[in-house]
Amino acid sequence: MADTIKLSVNGVEVEVPAGKNLIDAVAAVGIEIPHICYHPALGADGNCRMCLVEIEDGRPPLVAACKTKAAEGMKVRLDSEKIKKIQRDIMEFELINHPIDCPICDQAGECILQDYYVKYDHAPSRMRVPQVTKGKKMDFGSGVVHDQERCVLCARCVRFTRLITKTGELGIVNRTDQARVNIFPGRPLNNRYALNVVDLCPVGAMTSKDFRFRQRAWFLTKSKGICHGCSKGCNIYIDHNREKYKDDIIYRYRPRHNDLVNGYFICDSGRMTYKLENEKRLRVPLAAGQQVDLESAVNALKRRMDQADKLVFLVSPSCSLEQMRAIQQLATHKAAVLSGYSEGYIQKGDGDDYLIQDDKSANRAAFALLGIDESKDTLTAALNEADLLISFGNDLSLSGMDCTALGKTELAFVGSYANNCADAASYLLPVASYSEDNGSIINIDGVLQRYGAAVVKNEPLPSMLQILAQLGGAFGDVQAVWSDLNSAVEAFNKVDLQNIPAEGLALTVSEVDNVTA
Amino acid sequence: MSNRAELMESGKPFAFDAERDAEFERLAKRYPSRDSLILPSLWLVQDQQGWISTEAIAYVADRIGTFASQVYEVATFYTMYHLQPKGKIHICVCRTLSCYLLGKQQIVDYLHNELGLKPGQISEDGLFSLEEVECLGHCGSAPVVQINGEFHENMSVDKLKEVLATLQSGGRS
Repeated sequence: MADTIKLSVNGVEVEVPAGKNLIDAVAAVGIEIPHICYHPALGADGNCRMCLVEIEDGRPPLVAACKTKAAEGMKVRLDSEKIKKIQRDIMEFELINHPIDCPICDQAGECILQDYYVKYDHAPSRMRVPQVTKGKKMDFGSGVVHDQERCVLCARCVRFTRLITKTGELGIVNRTDQARVNIFPGRPLNNRYALNVVDLCPVGAMTSKDFRFRQRAWFLTKSKGICHGCSKGCNIYIDHNREKYKDDIIYRYRPRHNDLVNGYFICDSGRMTYKLENEKRLRVPLAAGQQVDLESAVNALKRRMDQADKLVFLVSPSCSLEQMRAIQQLATHKAAVLSGYSEGYIQKGDGDDYLIQDDKSANRAAFALLGIDESKDTLTAALNEADLLISFGNDLSLSGMDCTALGKTELAFVGSYANNCADAASYLLPVASYSEDNGSIINIDGVLQRYGAAVVKNEPLPSMLQILAQLGGAFGDVQAVWSDLNSAVEAFNKVDLQNIPAEGLALTVSEVDNVTA
Repeated sequence: MSNRAELMESGKPFAFDAERDAEFERLAKRYPSRDSLILPSLWLVQDQQGWISTEAIAYVADRIGTFASQVYEVATFYTMYHLQPKGKIHICVCRTLSCYLLGKQQIVDYLHNELGLKPGQISEDGLFSLEEVECLGHCGSAPVVQINGEFHENMSVDKLKEVLATLQSGGRS
C-alpha cells in the first residue's frame, strides 16, 4: 500500500495517496475536481483553468489543482462562491462557439462539456451574436476525423502525438479566437496509435471514422476485456449493444487503464480486432464434411477420435490457459501427440518498443509453463503417421502448411474464426470466442490476466471447455482446471488462481511475492 | 485578423542560400535545444524570400529535426511572420484592446475604402498589403500602425493619409 497523507477538502478531512497532484489525490477518495486538459498520461498542462481551487495557506488565492502536488495538512476549498463562479465562467467560455450539436455528436453521453455543464454551469447562454464557424469533418488520417467547432483546445491530442508517439503530427495553429487544432498540410496523422486521440478528446472534436454515427454511447454496454490482437494483452473495454431484433454486436474497443500492462492506451490494429468478433465467425458444425447440428457433430468427432489409430492435437497459441490445459489433459487421455506449432503467428519486425508485439498470439507464454511442444519437427513427424489432426483454433496455413494437402490425415477444427484451416476441415465445431467466454491468458511479460464473457449472442455457441468435456475431457469448467493447474503444474503451484487481481498477476515474481497471506 | 492558418505554397522547393545556411549553422551552435532555432530560422526564411511558404516551413522543420506542426504553430502564432507575399508597403494595424478602443477600425475601414484591401490581402499592383496584428507593445500611444517595420503612433486617418502619400512619392515614412 502506498503512503497516504491527510488533507482537508471543503473542511472535511480525507486520507489520500501521497505523491500525486490534487486532482488525482482527491479523486482516489471520490471527490471530483473538474478538469479538461489534464490527463494522467499526458501530465499537467494548465491551459483549461477548470481545475482552479483555493488553498487556505496564504498562497495566491487560486491555484491549478493539476499543477499542485497534494501535501499533508493542505486545506483545499472547492465549494466557495468564487470557485463556483470561475467554473461557470470557464464553462461559458468553452461554450461560446460550441455548436451544441449533441444530437448528432458521437461523444454525447460521455462528453465532458455535457457533464460539466450540468454540474458546474447550468446557466442559459448569453450569446446574442452569430457563432464563429470553423472546419468540419477534417480528415486527419489514420481514421481520425476532426471537428474544429467542437474543440475546446485542451491540447490533449497534440500532447499525445508529441509525448507518447513522438510523431508530432498535430499542432494548435494560429492564436486567440483563431486557434485551431490542425495537421501540417500533407503530413497527416501517421502512427499506429493515432486513434487514442479519439478517446483522449474530452469532447466530440476527434471522432473515429470507423465508429462515427454508428451507435449512441449510452446504448453501449461497456464490458471489461483483454485484447487478443498480440501477445501484449492490453486491457480494453468491449463496447457492445444488442439492438432491437438484432444480435449482440461489438461496436468498438477502447483502452482500459492498467499500469501493469498497457498504461492508458492501445494500438490501432488491436482496436480494430473487434471486427473479427463480429465477422468471419464459424457458425455451422460439420461432421464428415456434412452440415449437421452441433450435438451430432460432437458425437461424430468423438467416434472418429475413438477410431483413429494415431491422433494429433494442434493447439492455438491464442487459446486461454484453461483451454490449453483441458486440451493437454484430453491429449494425454487419448494418447494424442500435442503440438503448439504456430510459427506463422509471429510477424518478425512488426513490433515496436511500446505496445505492439511481433507475436500476434495472445497466450504463447502458457505453452512454456504447460510444457507444450512448439517445434515444427514434432508436428510434421506426428502428422506423417497420424490419421486424424484436430486443430483447436490454430490456423496452420499461417505457418506455411497447406491444410488441404495433409494426405491421409483427416482434419478436424474446433475454433471460433473462419480461416484456411477451418475451411479444409471435414469436422468443424464452432465455439465461443474470447469476447463470449471467460478464461486467463499470460502475456509476453509473464502477466497472468483474467477476462470474463462480455457478449452474449442470441444463439450462444458452447465454450471450448464444454466441447472438450463432451469429447471426453475431464474438466467441465474453469474451476476444475484451476484446481488441476494448482496441483499438477509446477508453475502454478503457488499461484492463487481463484483470486487473480483485476490488474493481473506478474508470474515472474509471483512465487515469492504473490503468495496470498 | 486574417486567417493565418491558411498557408500558401510557393510552388517551388525551398532551401537556404549559402549566406543563410551559414547563419543557420552559426545559430545552431548557440542554443542548447534545436527547437530554439525555429524563430530565427523563420526570420532567415522571411529575409530570403520575403514571406514564409508551406515548403519553407517543411524545410525548416526537417532541417531543425522538429515536427512540421510545431513550426506551423510558431509561424502562425506571430503576426510578424508573413505567410503570403506582402506588398512593397506593408501596413500592420494593431487590433488589440487599447488600439481597438481608440479607433483602429476607422483606420482599417479607411484602408479598405481607399485601397480596396481587407486584412490579409495584397493589392493587385503589389504595392500595398494590410494585416491586422496583435499588440505591438505601444499601447500608451494607441492606435498604432506599423509600416514596413516602422512604428507610427497616435494614428488617425488624416495622419495615415500623409504617411502613405510620403511613402508613395518615394520618400521615407
